[in-house]
This record gives sequence, structure tokens and C-alpha cells, in this order.
Amino acid sequence: MSALAIVGVGQTAYRRNHAHLSSRELIWTAAEAALKDAGLEMDAMDVVIAGIAPDALAGEGSVERSGIMGRGKPFLRVNTGGVTGSSTVFAGASYIKAGRAKAVLVVALERMGQATTSQQVFNTIFDPVYEKDFPLTTITMAALRASMLMRLYGYTDRHWAEIAARNYQNARRNPLAHLHLDLSPEDVLKSPLLAWPIHRYEACPMSEGACALVLASREMVGSRSAAWVHACASTSDSYAMGDRIRRPEGNLVDLLSLRLSAERAYKEAGITDPLRQIRTVELYTAFSSAEAMTYPALGFCEAPDGPRFVEALMSDPSLPVFNPSGGPQGANPVSATAMVRIAECALQVRGLAGERQVDGVERAVATGQGGATQFSTVCVLGKRPLH
Amino acid sequence: VSVSRPSVYIEGVGLEIGWRDERRNLSELIFDTVRNTVDDAGQGWRDIDSVVLAAQDLVDGRSLSSMVTAPAAGCYLRDEIRYGDDGAAAFAAAVTRIEAGESQRTVVAAWARASEHDVDAVSRILFDPIFTGPLGVQEVHVSGMRAQAWLQAGGNGAPRADALSRRADAVARNPRAIRAGGYRPTPSYPLHAEDLPVWADIVACVVISARPNAVRLAGLGQSSEPFAVGERDLVRMPSLSRAARLSLEESRRSIAEIDLIELDGLTLFDEAIGLEAIGVAPAGQGLKALAVDARVNSSGGAAAGYCAPAMGLVRIVEAALQIQGRAGGIQRPNVRTAMAVGASIVAAQTHTAVVLEAA
Repeated sequence: MSALAIVGVGQTAYRRNHAHLSSRELIWTAAEAALKDAGLEMDAMDVVIAGIAPDALAGEGSVERSGIMGRGKPFLRVNTGGVTGSSTVFAGASYIKAGRAKAVLVVALERMGQATTSQQVFNTIFDPVYEKDFPLTTITMAALRASMLMRLYGYTDRHWAEIAARNYQNARRNPLAHLHLDLSPEDVLKSPLLAWPIHRYEACPMSEGACALVLASREMVGSRSAAWVHACASTSDSYAMGDRIRRPEGNLVDLLSLRLSAERAYKEAGITDPLRQIRTVELYTAFSSAEAMTYPALGFCEAPDGPRFVEALMSDPSLPVFNPSGGPQGANPVSATAMVRIAECALQVRGLAGERQVDGVERAVATGQGGATQFSTVCVLGKRPLH
Repeated sequence: VSVSRPSVYIEGVGLEIGWRDERRNLSELIFDTVRNTVDDAGQGWRDIDSVVLAAQDLVDGRSLSSMVTAPAAGCYLRDEIRYGDDGAAAFAAAVTRIEAGESQRTVVAAWARASEHDVDAVSRILFDPIFTGPLGVQEVHVSGMRAQAWLQAGGNGAPRADALSRRADAVARNPRAIRAGGYRPTPSYPLHAEDLPVWADIVACVVISARPNAVRLAGLGQSSEPFAVGERDLVRMPSLSRAARLSLEESRRSIAEIDLIELDGLTLFDEAIGLEAIGVAPAGQGLKALAVDARVNSSGGAAAGYCAPAMGLVRIVEAALQIQGRAGGIQRPNVRTAMAVGASIVAAQTHTAVVLEAA
């Protein structure tokens, strides 16, 4: 098994709609930037892997095919919903670790600005007989979890607002972010309710854009600035949310799939004390309330201590820095978001994150979340190779 | 690129081809075939730590179909990834996970249910929405263009009747072929109805691991074509040619040393032209090879049941069964090596070639 690193990061700006750019132009803009960052040409790529989630959001079938790059190269498309971006990175990593590639270009694209309403599309991810008429959407699904967190652990809507406001303030330092809003917790609480207890500004925006990474084997890294991939882990859970409410392995808000992924990734990366060994975390949580579910799953606190951990995060600079890019509340190009998390961690580890750079990042963790909090990924990046 | 990697073996296979089974929904179809495949592997769920899927939302009829189908394929609390790509491509990706040491034992499953989606409408949406889409172009029309280009380039169409006859005989003897129902799209010139695939409901599955078994992966090759049909060489099919060459090089064999070939093609002509691309037949003689070469598509190919994106994995299952001597009425004698080839949307834009051998 070979070591590998991220040596190139390319992102378009994330916007509600890139009306002036075609899908293939968005893909190529991100890919070209990643290749330039890596100092490599397309010819050096052995495999190209694209990640696109629901075709329905783009209004085109298999839109990635139109942007295919590198004539004759192996090309695959990944679709794992919200974790599409990270799954695409993991797929590329497998080709390198297997010794079948020295360099892989992975790219994720989101074109949801073409959809008149994303929630109508997201309604169709649920069971057509029992859930679709509910109307269950990603917003109401998140609201069910948020209310459960409040009942079980004592969270208040103030906690959600504090998390959201911090993410918006971080996003103001990220020029690629979709939203640059100067919002306080009070502003968040004053925004309209989408579905109790979720306010509008606790939710992510609908964003378009593309992200690309160049993955390279150890011998390809050479003197390039690198973010070493220490671990990748992915776990799927059951579809039915009702089955996850009272099962022994963990309830609906325990985020079992993320906890299992974190345990496997930490073991591979040698992380035994996440609070001390991880400096920054980029989370795929489309709602600020969902961010609270990740803290215990990632080993930063026990679930009942979650509200106090949120309060500590707002005042204790020694704790890990969450979402320095602004996270999905700054921009949420669904297919790409989980790759953006890895891209932002790679920039942090390489010291290239600009105004959003966190000091002293030796290790960073990126998560992905998809389906009905059903698919979870954890990626650990480090400044130095693991072995 | 390193070549020191563990061998990968196929431990179990499963395949079901049918039409509009009203007793089972898609999840139940998937569950039954995956369960049968795991049983076939004989190891239970022990050490199965990874599931790799090939499925298309557009075909499954939901915006994120794997939310409900992945658990049916055994993904519960396991590492899972879905490729919106051909089953053979997913197989290749699953192989890299075993070779990388990321998985001990992996389920690879692919499915598609033609009886529950509009085959022609899904095909139309795959094309460019501005320039090609309004023309109503479907993949089968590209197959028609390919056949025309091949005939104009001197392709020998005379053996077509013999090729069709051999294919019909293979389907009749294939115990896994579709027996009733199915859908055939409207043919486009110069294709005729009998050249077209029989669309079906299909679930294919394999279990792979690094544990030595009867069928070993000997070679793997993948390649791609540009998106625009006008930028492609429809007759020479360079993507297919390159994928096959890479797989043969890795297996250190020539195509002449391969005992059995299962090649995915949408129509009879696609299969014939594909045989030329992989070197089984000289230019223009692909139909003749289909008519007389007993090594080729002994399963009946697309006439035994077709539905993307399952087809590449179907070809791998058929090839593995031949090596295991379990292919039933279509079993060929002394099959020690086999090549299986899968093609993806749009109109065979990417290819994966796999060489298997008896271990």
C-alpha cells in the first residue's frame, strides 16, 4: 500500500448560479487550478474521477460526461449523495494506494442552481409511499433531529444560532464562499423559521461550483507542497430513520455512521486524543444544529456535554477550530461540499488558506455527510507523511 | 506504476435477469441476488467490510436511490461507495480497494430495472440538452451511426443472419437469459429489431477478496472517449481497444490466448465492431466472428437481457461462471481464461476490460 498526498487544490467561487459558465467550463476551471497548483499537466494524470450527486438537481443526465478530461484515460463517476465529494477522493486514493496510478485528478461539480427548487428534488430521495407526502425534505429531516437534540441533551435555539453566526463570520474571510454575511446570533434567531426549530440562517444556501484535487503517490510528491492523507473511512447506515431512534448501537442523533468512520480513521491515523491532536475540522453539516451532532461522534465531547462544548467553543481558543472556511453555511454545492471540506483541510495543512488560515495546523479532519444522515466519511490529513 | 499488489479472486457470483416481477420491489430483487452471491461465496458475511455499487438514479427512479437500495445490498454499517457508472467500472474500483489493503472482502453489485423506467427517455436525457437533446438522440441512434460508419468503411454485413442465429441459439441455452417480457426500442437505420438488445430487469453481484479461489483477476484496463459523438472514432473504438490492450498486457497474454470473451454492446453491430477493437476479428469482419467464433458471447450478449448500468458486471459473472464450469447450457469446454468487457453511458463513452483466469 502506497502513501499519498494532495498536491493540488482548485476551486471555483461558489455562487447561487453560475449562469455564464457551462458544466464543462466549471469542471475545467477547477481542474485547471488544481493542476496549476500541483505544477502538473493533464498528461501526468493516470485516472480521472468525477463526483456528481443527484442528476435531477442539474436537470441534465450524467452531466459529468460532458466535462470528461484527458482523452483515453480511465474515467469514473461517483454518486453517494452528500458524501459524493469525499467518496470521489477516496476512490482516487484507492487507485494510488493499489499502485494503479501515480497521480489522480478528482473533481466534483454541483449545478443545483439549475433547479427551480432543490427541496422538491430532495423530497424525492425519500420513500415514495410513506415519506414523500409528509412532506419530508432535507430541512424537515434536520428539524426532527434538532428537536431531538434539544429534548435529549438540553440544546436551545441559541446554541444553533451561535454556531451559525460563527460560521458566517468565518465565511467572510473566505473569498470563495457563496455568502458573506455579517450576522450575529441575534440576527440568526430573528430570521424566519423554516421548520421549527430551524431558522433560515441556520440552514445552508443552495450553491453552484466545482472543486478539484490532484492526488499523488509519495514518489510524485517530491518537493511539492503536500497535505498527506493519513486516513479515509466511510460508513453507511440504514435508510429508515425510525429504525435508528431506539436501537442499541446508537440513536438517530448519535450519528453512528460518523462515529464508526471516525473510530476507523483515527485508528489508522494514530489519533487517540482528538482535542489535542486535531487543530482544525471542516464539517459537512448543512444545518448548524447538525454540527452539534458531530462533536460527540468525532470524539470531542460526550453527547450530554454537547451544549457546554458549544459554549466553550465560542470562547476557548485552545479548542480545535471548526469550519474556518465558513463550512456549508458559507457555501453548499452539495455534490462537491464533502470534497471542499477536504480541499480546505489540505489548504490549512499546507499553510495556504490565506486569511482563513488557522495557526499551527499539523493535522486536520474533514467530514462528509449524506442521505438521511446515512452516509458518513472522515478524512484525516497531516503536514507530514504518517510513516 | 507499481505492479506489486495482492491478487484478487472472485469467490462468489450471482445474476438474475427477469421482467416485471410484481412480487418483489427493487430492494427485494437486490437483496435476493446479493444474498445468493454471498451464499455462493461460502463465507457468510464474515470479513465482508466493503460494498461497491453501480447504479443510476435516473434508472432507479429516485434522486438518491442508494439511500434505500444500498442497505439491501448489505451496506449496513459497512464501508460503501456507489458508482453512477457501469458495473465493470465498479468492479475495477472494488479491485483497487482490495489491492490497496482497504478491504478484506468486498461485495460488488450492479442493477437496473427496465420494466420500471422509460428506457428511451433516460437515454435521451444523457445527451447535450442544447445541441443534441432537441434532436431526440438516443444511445441506440449512435449505435445506428456506428453501424452505418462501419458498413461504409467496408464492414462485411453478410454474416449478420448467421450471427443472429448463433445469438438466438445461445439465448435459448442460457439458463440466466430473459425468458418472457422485455422491451426492444425502435430500431434506427441500418439496424433491425432483432439487432437490438432485450431490455430487462437485472441484478448482478460478485464477492471478491485476496483469498485464493478458483477465479483470479489477471488483468485490468480502463479507458474513455470524448463526450461529443462527433469527436469519436465510432468504428475503431479507441477506448475499448486501449482498455482491452491494457488488460491483456497486465495478464501477459494475447487475445488469441483467451478462451472466452464476454463483450458488452448495445446492439449486434456494437458487439461485432467491439470484437474488432479488441483484436478478435480483423477490421470489417466482426459480424463474421460473432457468427463463427465460439469463444465470443456464448451467453447471447445483449439479447439475453440488457439494462445499463449492470451490463459490465453481468459480463464478468458470465465469464467467471465459464471458468468455474458452472455456466449450464452455454458452458464451453476447458475455459481457463476469459475476458469480460463493460461499456458505460453515453453510448460506450468509457470501457473497462477484465481478464480472468483459473487459479
